[in-house]
Amino acid sequence: MEIDRDHGRSPSQLRPLSCSRNVLHRAHGSASWSQGETKVLAAVYGPKAGTKKNENPEKACIEVIWKPKTGQIGKLEREYEMILKRTLQSICILTLNPNTTTSIIVQVVNDDGALLVCAINAACAALVDAGIPMKHLAVAICCCLAESGYVILDPTKLEELKMRGFAYLVFPNSVLSVLPEGSSLVEGEPMENGIITSVTHGVMSVEEYLKCLERGRAASAKLSDFLRRSLQSQLSNDSSKAA
Amino acid sequence: MASKGAAPSTYTPTPTKKTRPPIFSDSDVDWLRPDGRGFHQCRPAFFRTGAVNSAAGSAYAEFGNTKVIVSVFGPRESKKAMMYSDVGRLNCNVSYTTFATPVRGQGSDNKEFSSMLHKALEGAIMLETFPKTTVDVFALVLESGGSDLPVVISCASLALADAGIMMYDLVAGVSVSCLGRNLIIDPILEEETFQDGSLIITCMPSRYEVTQLTISGEWSTAKLNEAMELCLDACSKLAKIMRSCLKEAASASQD
Amino acid sequence: MGVPDASGDLSSEMEVDAFRRLFPLRYFERHLSESVRPDARPLGRARDTTLALGAVASAHGSALAKIGSTTMLAAIKMEVMTPSTESPDEGCIAIDFHMPPICSPIVRPGRPAEAAPVISKQLSDTISSSGMINLKELSLVSGKAAWIAYLDIYCLDADGALFDAALLSAVAAFSHLQIPIVSLNDDGKIVVILEEDDGTKLEKEPVNREKRKLTLSSIPFSLTCILHKNYILADPTAEEESIMETLVTVGLDSSSRLVSFYKPGGPVLAYTSAVQDCVALTRQRVKELQEILDEAISGMEID
Repeated sequence: MEIDRDHGRSPSQLRPLSCSRNVLHRAHGSASWSQGETKVLAAVYGPKAGTKKNENPEKACIEVIWKPKTGQIGKLEREYEMILKRTLQSICILTLNPNTTTSIIVQVVNDDGALLVCAINAACAALVDAGIPMKHLAVAICCCLAESGYVILDPTKLEELKMRGFAYLVFPNSVLSVLPEGSSLVEGEPMENGIITSVTHGVMSVEEYLKCLERGRAASAKLSDFLRRSLQSQLSNDSSKAA
Repeated sequence: MASKGAAPSTYTPTPTKKTRPPIFSDSDVDWLRPDGRGFHQCRPAFFRTGAVNSAAGSAYAEFGNTKVIVSVFGPRESKKAMMYSDVGRLNCNVSYTTFATPVRGQGSDNKEFSSMLHKALEGAIMLETFPKTTVDVFALVLESGGSDLPVVISCASLALADAGIMMYDLVAGVSVSCLGRNLIIDPILEEETFQDGSLIITCMPSRYEVTQLTISGEWSTAKLNEAMELCLDACSKLAKIMRSCLKEAASASQD
Repeated sequence: MGVPDASGDLSSEMEVDAFRRLFPLRYFERHLSESVRPDARPLGRARDTTLALGAVASAHGSALAKIGSTTMLAAIKMEVMTPSTESPDEGCIAIDFHMPPICSPIVRPGRPAEAAPVISKQLSDTISSSGMINLKELSLVSGKAAWIAYLDIYCLDADGALFDAALLSAVAAFSHLQIPIVSLNDDGKIVVILEEDDGTKLEKEPVNREKRKLTLSSIPFSLTCILHKNYILADPTAEEESIMETLVTVGLDSSSRLVSFYKPGGPVLAYTSAVQDCVALTRQRVKELQEILDEAISGMEID
């Protein structure tokens, strides 16, 4: 059973990825991330002094502001903000800068499916660009479940509409090259398999969800390779400029 | 799917025609109240304290179809912008649920009731016992069945007592409506829409002091006197019920 | 107040309440290592749950759900709308979740709680993806009129697991829903037929005599769990949620299909075994909740 996709994509093939950092000059860190036609711009400001009310001042506070392409923000955007905030909170080291606030502004440039995962990837790259201390990187992937029970990855907007259900999954990047030596005691293999964030829509059986997880994990390896490579190459560019 | 974006214009279907005759005719003294009560008879009152666990004190009140929850928080830190004050502050808020009224509302805050609740309670609370801090009194009208404000006020004073805020006395509130030549106590929603005038008294019965008196509409002096007598009498009876509710809660917690 | 166990720890020299406030995490971990929670529940047990239907007389359907002290009041008001041209035979459901200032010390008037729109969205997602309600049943006159069901859920007391309680109250309100009998008048407006009217003098036929109740297929229920180290705590209280931050909400419908697997971040990663354990706990809980709902409905029918 095969599914026809645009540009002859196979079910588990991702759209072309691109990532560039330091795209905005006034922000402390920024990145743009695109998957096919979906493109998101993320800017990081901070850490600034003080936390908001009802936040724990013993930790750093993360604030996410979602800017849709057009119109005002509604419940959907509020949910995205909350998911992004909780996801980023769990990958940042919050105890290093207590009683500070880091703002992440996410601007949607174009939405052609898998918007939330694109935003998470962009925000993650922007945090690296701003030099915010992080435990590890995170990569997000969108898995779709077609009527026939087939799993396809990274859907376009048109494909999203035809799907029975989908799952947005966020996995940690392997820690080997990102974290300082001290914390490399986390064993690499199983850690990449743990879910940081999972959001699902539509009905599916538990087995189908587990299948999505498995496919998502496989694809996240490719994604994290890409993320690391693009961050590293730009890093060497930056240092050569500075020199 | 939930309606998003352009909200469709919707309406509540109403009965075909208002067949109900105007029950409150001017000259007729013999009409019955829709719920069969006597003119000077209040609805059965039900109070319960400790309705909301996460609040410092709370109370639930049910008078017929009027159902109200009041939570009290504090005394706690005043807003940062507030100036120093050597007496405590009282902050009140009254809001309605969207399904409180027969036609679906917006569920917004009721500014007028909020400030009236504040005025009615302020005189009864010993504000000097919690300097620099604020006590928040938040009320939510779950269902509006008439005489909402007096029920909110009585319920709020019970919630304050539950929170252990020092007061001179409980505050009981009762309203009277004037319909033609008749005075009816504790009016329901339907009666309130037909009323010519209304009077609300909130008082501290054991001190025989009025904390708030609100009169609207047309009143003759004689009627006004009669209505005040009625209200004060009902307030002292209501306060007895409130007191017994508190005693019950206290004895239950001792056991 | 005495200390239950004296083991050279700081806890043996301190009052229990003080220890709980100063070292909340250690306080909880001491309990967890004994496989018990501070409120004497085993780790996988949900709090006592009660359900009362018809709590609001001014609504067409309503329910009050309590899980521990978390309290939700849900009420449905039916209004008439013109259906969209794409789906002329379908009504619609508008779900809103409110956290009024009475429910928690964190919520202040004028500043709506951050969680409210998110739970609101989660509820509409879960209810629409479960397919519990057939929107065609809300149709009155094709292309002309259909019901819009305004479901408003108020949190009266917030003590953890808000989504679970909100979803329970929402599905209970739908099962209590009594749709008024209406007819179409000459102006093309929908009007209510009063029940006390005897059928003889009706000039208009009611348009929905048979459609007074919705048929609910595959009702969704949910269970929120905390992941902390290797422990899984079902149905957390607000205190537990604030101390151990990794929450997983699993939604299953009555035929055990997954309608939601919701884990918004959190320091603990969920591995496949944890996913399966959460699903297993939810399966158990769905059975309990289904019984509670059935009981509440049969209780209504006796009256």
